[in-house]
Amino acid sequence: MSIQLFRQLGWFVLLVLVQVLVLNHIHLFGIAVPLLYIYFPITLQRNTPHWAALLWCFTLGLTIDVFSNTPGLAAGSLTLIGLLQPFWLELFVPRDSIENLEVSAVTIGWGKFIVYASALIVLFCLIFFALEAFNFFNWIRWLEYAGASATLTMVLIVAIESVRGR
Amino acid sequence: MRNLLDFLRKYHYWFLFILLEVISALLLFRYNSYQNSAWLSSANVLVGKMNEIESSVTAFFSMTRANEELTLRNFYLERQVSQLRRLYTEATQDTTVMERQERQFLSQYRIIPAKVVSNTLNKQENLMTIDKGRADGVEVDMGVASGSGVVGVVYLVSDHYSVVIPVLNTAMSRISCAIRDRNYFGYLRWNGVDPAVAFVDDIPRHAHFKRGEWIVTSGYSSIFPPGVLVGQIEKVFNSNDGLSYKLQVRLSTDFGCLRDVCVISDKNVGERVRLMEAAQDSLKGLRK
Repeated sequence: MSIQLFRQLGWFVLLVLVQVLVLNHIHLFGIAVPLLYIYFPITLQRNTPHWAALLWCFTLGLTIDVFSNTPGLAAGSLTLIGLLQPFWLELFVPRDSIENLEVSAVTIGWGKFIVYASALIVLFCLIFFALEAFNFFNWIRWLEYAGASATLTMVLIVAIESVRGR
Repeated sequence: MRNLLDFLRKYHYWFLFILLEVISALLLFRYNSYQNSAWLSSANVLVGKMNEIESSVTAFFSMTRANEELTLRNFYLERQVSQLRRLYTEATQDTTVMERQERQFLSQYRIIPAKVVSNTLNKQENLMTIDKGRADGVEVDMGVASGSGVVGVVYLVSDHYSVVIPVLNTAMSRISCAIRDRNYFGYLRWNGVDPAVAFVDDIPRHAHFKRGEWIVTSGYSSIFPPGVLVGQIEKVFNSNDGLSYKLQVRLSTDFGCLRDVCVISDKNVGERVRLMEAAQDSLKGLRK
């Protein structure tokens, strides 16, 4: 059992607790919900086996769902992100970097990190709220929810990254 | 086999992804009531649509049977309607007579359904063959009608087939018709030009009628019962000698797509024909 695995487990538990105990109750302006647990797939290592990424994301989503009483919602969305994350990451990482690169703003640069993270966050929020509503009658409201939540989540992640980087 | 295994090994995470998404979807649809109902209702729509397509396909294959039944039904209903119309106009006069007449009328005709197996439209003297013959009870000089109107008269009969002279025969087709409800009668003839148009001659000049009124069989011949549809009056001309009207009639039967017909056999026709012949013989005898 490598130290890496323990660290990931630690982040897993931490993110679940923070989301469930604190962030799930925040509804900024009535529309924005910070979905901080997306931080976990974002910081998955480069060259994580695909199956491992999928399983991590699925269990994370399932745990969040169990606590939020929305079975299948986060699990489905997060599994999709877990599928796409390795491919998306490869586009932002220089070819000659080390194998098990830790993903953070420090290692790949702030500009790239923001683009990389925000794409994943926006996609996740869109899918999450689409599944939650399950129709597109009020597609404007869907976009409002997704946009506001993505922005709020991005702000939180940037804050965390700047703290970690120091 | 090796390639398949290699493929599976390389892309195994796709299957895992699909498996996990299916599990998420199951959870989503099972435990969230809105998603559950939306899923169920759209599944119902899909199933309903497929059932509809399947039933329309099976209905199509039973169409021939439905067609035959409808032709028969059409014929009976037409008879009934013409009889009822006549009864209605005479209703104030004597009701007991009408009832007797109605019962007697409907019992004396026997219908033999048949299919047209050969037909022509483009000759001056067209002939039609149907698939019922002597063995099915068809005899010469029986009338043939379809669900939409009169077709012709049986000309030759073999054991299993009969030849019918349709209306579209310039030489031999003379069907006695009348204007419906006015009872002015004449003979229906075809001039060989348009298969949808025929002419009724010898309508007297004192007759009152309008364009668009229906022409039906008069019942004066022994071939057709009265009231079988022939067509609608389209135009009125003067006859060649100027003494009567000649009506251009648009035929209600579409001879181009005729498939199901009925042969009408009148049980009393033998008696009528014999009586008429006896009368003519006796007149000939008197003249000599």
